[in-house]
Amino acid sequence: MKKILATILKEWILTKRDVAGLMLLFIMPAILIIVMALVQDAPFKDYQELKFDLLVANHDNGSLSTAIIDGLKESESFTIIDSIDEKPVTEHRLKFLLQEGDYKVGIVIPKGATAEMVNAANIVANSISEKIGMGSLPSREMRDTNYVRMYFDPASKPTFRMSVSFALDKYITFSSSHILVERLAKIGGTNIDSSTTDSASQNIRPAEDFVKIFKGIGIKEKMLNEHEANAVEVTSVQHNVPAWAIFGMFFIVIPICGHLIRERDEGSAMRIELIPNARKYVSVGKILFYTLICTLQFVVMFCIGLWVIPLLGLPSLHLGTNTWVLIPVAVSIAIAATSYGYFIGVIFKTTNQAMPFGAISVVILSAMGGVWVPIDVFTPVMQKMAMISPLYWGLDAVNNITLRNGNFYDIQMHILVLLAFSTILWMISTQRNKTRYQNK
Amino acid sequence: MSVAIQIDSLKKQYQGALEPALNGLTLQVNENTITGLLGPNGAGKTTCINILCGLVKPDSGNAEIYGVSCINEPIAVRSQIGVVPQQIALFPNMTAWENFMYIGSLYGLEKHYIRERAGNLLNRLGLEKQADKRVNRYSGGMKRRANIIASLLHEPIILILDEPTAGVDVQSRALILDFLNEYKATGKTILYTSHLLEEAERICDDVVIIDNGELIITGTPKKLILETEDCNHLEDVFLHYTGHSVRD
Repeated sequence: MKKILATILKEWILTKRDVAGLMLLFIMPAILIIVMALVQDAPFKDYQELKFDLLVANHDNGSLSTAIIDGLKESESFTIIDSIDEKPVTEHRLKFLLQEGDYKVGIVIPKGATAEMVNAANIVANSISEKIGMGSLPSREMRDTNYVRMYFDPASKPTFRMSVSFALDKYITFSSSHILVERLAKIGGTNIDSSTTDSASQNIRPAEDFVKIFKGIGIKEKMLNEHEANAVEVTSVQHNVPAWAIFGMFFIVIPICGHLIRERDEGSAMRIELIPNARKYVSVGKILFYTLICTLQFVVMFCIGLWVIPLLGLPSLHLGTNTWVLIPVAVSIAIAATSYGYFIGVIFKTTNQAMPFGAISVVILSAMGGVWVPIDVFTPVMQKMAMISPLYWGLDAVNNITLRNGNFYDIQMHILVLLAFSTILWMISTQRNKTRYQNK
Repeated sequence: MSVAIQIDSLKKQYQGALEPALNGLTLQVNENTITGLLGPNGAGKTTCINILCGLVKPDSGNAEIYGVSCINEPIAVRSQIGVVPQQIALFPNMTAWENFMYIGSLYGLEKHYIRERAGNLLNRLGLEKQADKRVNRYSGGMKRRANIIASLLHEPIILILDEPTAGVDVQSRALILDFLNEYKATGKTILYTSHLLEEAERICDDVVIIDNGELIITGTPKKLILETEDCNHLEDVFLHYTGHSVRD
């Protein structure tokens, strides 16, 4: 134990004298976390969360336009702009502003849109009432020029167009359904005998109850379990803080392999080799020391997520309901990262080989493991391939705790995989060390 | 006089090498002597030392230190020997004290013992005032001396030095050679390699000249000089047996 502690102390002495190395380990990941969280804040937000300026050229002034505009206002996804410089927005002006890129989206409600909608509702209502022998409402031929038109900034993305289209379509469908039910109710109201008390007539509701009725049907999201009820949304902070913290932890490969190769070049590794049984204690000491450093990195990065990131206007990092489970996860990731660095330092002969390989391989493994973008957006093949990366297991374990409020049971498999990864690398490195001087 | 190191028919050929590094080398080192292992570049000196330390396994043959096999029991052997490698086998970003405390603790020595032992050696080798300096700020001679101290912390009964005076100034060399004589006087055995034959002639009780992995000749420097034709110095003997062709 004394030999291991002596090695930890020696590594600390060497590390604190390498200021650039320390900066690399703590400051660089911290900057990375802050920058990436800020840069990716918008892309991580759902379009429903964002509030868009919506140009409205309202030439109708009927109940349809009122329903659409009220609905859009209530949705809180849109800021309705129907006048600029105290002048109502016209279709011509709306097109000009979108073309200039000043706004992303606009709708034109043409004159007579409500009348057209009412007429369409009357036609449908008449068709139904005819079959059940009720009265009819006035109607005329449909005109296909009075539909609500939507325009987009030509540079807007298809996904954005789709999201906004769905939102607007929802309000138009809702308004048209409302009008249709009103028309049906009107026909029904003119023919219903007041003395009728059968159950069917009792079930007829006034049109004002329309909203209530429709609230009772459709799709409602339900939680799978209590964990999910408290689950946190994947925000830029929730993704980037753990992702780049783990990335930074794996960058320990640079100092570790640098130290190992330098010690071999300088001859101090041979000194260790010449001391009976020293190599195994020195190796364990090194792994423990760098595991401590990596774990500390994890803690510091999470502290940044908790207390620094909110100062920049982003939400604070949520740690889940079983925060303590982060400790074994952090230690497992730290062991995996350290073992990987040790492996590279042992396998490669020169720093010119080891450092570029170490750095680039960590970037590749991080991309595969979902650090750059969540693996949910990967193709199915890439999602399978992600499992090769230890960063995937680390990040998924952290997400299980922070996003899904998982407990130890939910991450034990991840810990096992990370430790297995470390053990394999450790065994290869040990074998290589044993035979190092045989073929010099 | 008993034998401290016994080497029998050692053969070693590294992977991919055209010639064997050792080709049936046999030699012995007597107890309480300074023995010079001499040979041109590529003669097999370093391979021989590495086998004695248990770092390299020979293809055949045997090497023993006080009857303990260097091949089968390298750990037991390492606790008996101190090796001063050709490289400065110290941590350059640490002070000499920090190096000695760390290396001593890896030998399992107690802190107070390391302090006392390293303190004595630092005094004897003239580094006591520089002990708190980082090794990378040392001169070549100081590094060599510190390298020797690190190998002596556990008081080995056999000291093996691979070119301990390479690249050092005259004063440092004189100090090192005096110290080696003193160390021998405490009953220890020293095996030492060098290309500086004048130095070897001065301090060695015995010399062993090897070339192409084989023993060429062994004996006291005086005896070899006397028995070899037209030789006045050990260097003449060396050139007589190993030739004048340049080795790389």
